[in-house]
Amino acid sequence: MNLRFKTALVLLGVMSFAAASFAFSQDQFKLKPGAKGKICLVCHVAFQEKMKLPFVHTPVRAGDCSDCHNPHTSDHGKFLAKSSGKICLTCHNGIVPGKAQSIHKVVVEGNCVKCHDPHASKNKFNLLLAGNELCSGCHKNIAEAIAKDKFQHRPVREGCINCHNPHASEKSAFLLKSGVPSLCTVCHDANRPTFTRQHQGYPVARSRCTSCHDPHGSDRGGLLWANLHAPVGSKMCNQCHLDSSSPDALKTKRTGFNLCRGCHNTMANNMLADNRIHWPIKAKDGCLNCHSPHASKGASLLKAPMKTLCGTCHPDTIERQEKSQTKHKPIEAGECVKCHSPHSSNNVFLLDNTTIDLCGACHDWQRHTTHPIGAKIIDPRNRNLNLDCLSCHRAHGTSQKNFMYFDPKMELCVQCHAALKR
Amino acid sequence: MWNLLRFLFFLAISVLVALEGFALEMLKLRPIVSGYGDTMGGGLKQPEGVGCDGKSTVVVADTGNGRLVKFIFTGEKLTPGAGIVLPQLTYPIRLQIDSKGDILALDGKTQRIVRISEAGEFKGYIDATGMANESPVVPRSFRIDKNDNLYILDVGSGRVLYTDPGGKVLREIGFPKEYGFFSDITEDPAGNLFLLDSVGRRVYFAAKGSATISPLKGGLEENANFPVSIAVDHQGTLLVVDQNGGGVVILGADGSFRGRQSGIGWKEGLLRYPSQICVNSNGMVFIADRGNNRIQIYSTVQ
Repeated sequence: MNLRFKTALVLLGVMSFAAASFAFSQDQFKLKPGAKGKICLVCHVAFQEKMKLPFVHTPVRAGDCSDCHNPHTSDHGKFLAKSSGKICLTCHNGIVPGKAQSIHKVVVEGNCVKCHDPHASKNKFNLLLAGNELCSGCHKNIAEAIAKDKFQHRPVREGCINCHNPHASEKSAFLLKSGVPSLCTVCHDANRPTFTRQHQGYPVARSRCTSCHDPHGSDRGGLLWANLHAPVGSKMCNQCHLDSSSPDALKTKRTGFNLCRGCHNTMANNMLADNRIHWPIKAKDGCLNCHSPHASKGASLLKAPMKTLCGTCHPDTIERQEKSQTKHKPIEAGECVKCHSPHSSNNVFLLDNTTIDLCGACHDWQRHTTHPIGAKIIDPRNRNLNLDCLSCHRAHGTSQKNFMYFDPKMELCVQCHAALKR
Repeated sequence: MWNLLRFLFFLAISVLVALEGFALEMLKLRPIVSGYGDTMGGGLKQPEGVGCDGKSTVVVADTGNGRLVKFIFTGEKLTPGAGIVLPQLTYPIRLQIDSKGDILALDGKTQRIVRISEAGEFKGYIDATGMANESPVVPRSFRIDKNDNLYILDVGSGRVLYTDPGGKVLREIGFPKEYGFFSDITEDPAGNLFLLDSVGRRVYFAAKGSATISPLKGGLEENANFPVSIAVDHQGTLLVVDQNGGGVVILGADGSFRGRQSGIGWKEGLLRYPSQICVNSNGMVFIADRGNNRIQIYSTVQ
């Protein structure tokens, strides 16, 4: 058998297999000629109305119901041939780029039907609702905030998909079609004289626009965030940055903590006078580890709501509260500063005060009716400790009720009251 | 016959390998003794640092009292000494003892390293000098090597400064691009560096002489709440103190999880918000048990 004959034989085999597979996929259920979807519609009569809608899913229109459903048996709901997410990817496998930087949660979960009707719809792309109405269904908070805004970003009003890709983004976070500022400069020409004038002559074309602007909408002109750093509000960028005519204009005059203390001197001196400083303040990015230098949505120019921000570095403490049987209200409300001083303190855990006084500020009943605590009460478990609130409670929560370290009946109280141990 | 011998040979090898792995996983801390105060009976208050040498000296940073306390540890007995109070060191948080017996202490308030003689006298500050880039130096921790040179964990400029005993910079290693917040640094007997990322809950590694710091395999997310201090024993096993979880995580030199020791509590052997760890050449482990106002000493048991 020569090589040419062998190759021909292999090719013939491959082609026969491909042809057989194609034929099988075309009619794996051996439907009668012309039957296809029509036979399904005999029972599923409601679909006849659905088929009249302007946008019908291609396999539905072609009557290929068995492309998605198995007419006999299935391991999945609605007799789907695969699980709901995977069945769509059979044909639409390119919707998530290989190196996507962000993917829409519903896509990850395979919940395509949260947005699309798999059979037919009156909206393009078989969407359940048209335009922003669909997005607002889940992203209520954003939609409500935009509705209240005095100034709305026009592309947002016209459609979220002007900036966001609904499935995934290869180039940016938040499903943005491209990163900031390249996305912004598609519409906002940074070379226009008015643009330069509005930005005090600083070369911001390569900066992160969202550092100052709310991309959705704002009550402030220029879509600036609600809370502005005073120099930004007064357009005094050169208070922190080099002069706009400088070749390295966006560079700050100093770095980290040392830049901020130029104006916030009293605050800085108070911090340095304390024994304990919150380490990120003295770290490379200094105050900018927690604060935005230009503007922010929340008060005190915080980068994010306090619980999220503090939880970035202290996820274990936030998780402990979430798992705890009893919730500590200030943590739940995201008011970490009710107990902690975020910049500096003379107490461990950067607490605002000594434990008993701090807890007593809210739990005032402990001042008159409580287990003996205080400087004169020695902890029987350790002669170097006095009894205080944290001798029994863990403020961020435990698996026991009332933040008790251990089961009070069987384990905690008997650590000291050993004679009562059962 | 040959087949049987070959089978027995491979069986023996497999058992040995399995036993070795088992032995590595079985590193345990056995509480020996705890120290509660100085020779005058003055109790420790929120001690955050501990330094140990290869002999018998143990120094504790009695942070809440703004002083150092020296102990002598011989046999299984811990004898307290007098407190050392210095105006240059009001809030000690990290300690090391060099080969000459000098105590090096990092002050948390001033973020400066202070050199103190064995007798407790102030000898001077060790300020890093001669960096390529004169950006601010903020030491979060430091470690002394066998030549008494220092590795300073400079969080202010995101780098490790390797200096001579006087603070003159010999080498700089930049922090990696992605990390959370480095809290401690240690060196193994082979000269490899390990950095502890408290926020990212991960150990980073720089091979001896390397200018690159990269993460070790596997994170500590599953095994530590908020790791704050790291030490390495003479076999290269890493011991990581989990402050918020009250325990010690044992890792192999490659970062693989080997076990977890101790737990939250008041009894001796248990820990509450522990801070610095020190391991001496005899394999004794010293931990500043901050929340329990004491220092605890453990032996390691394989």
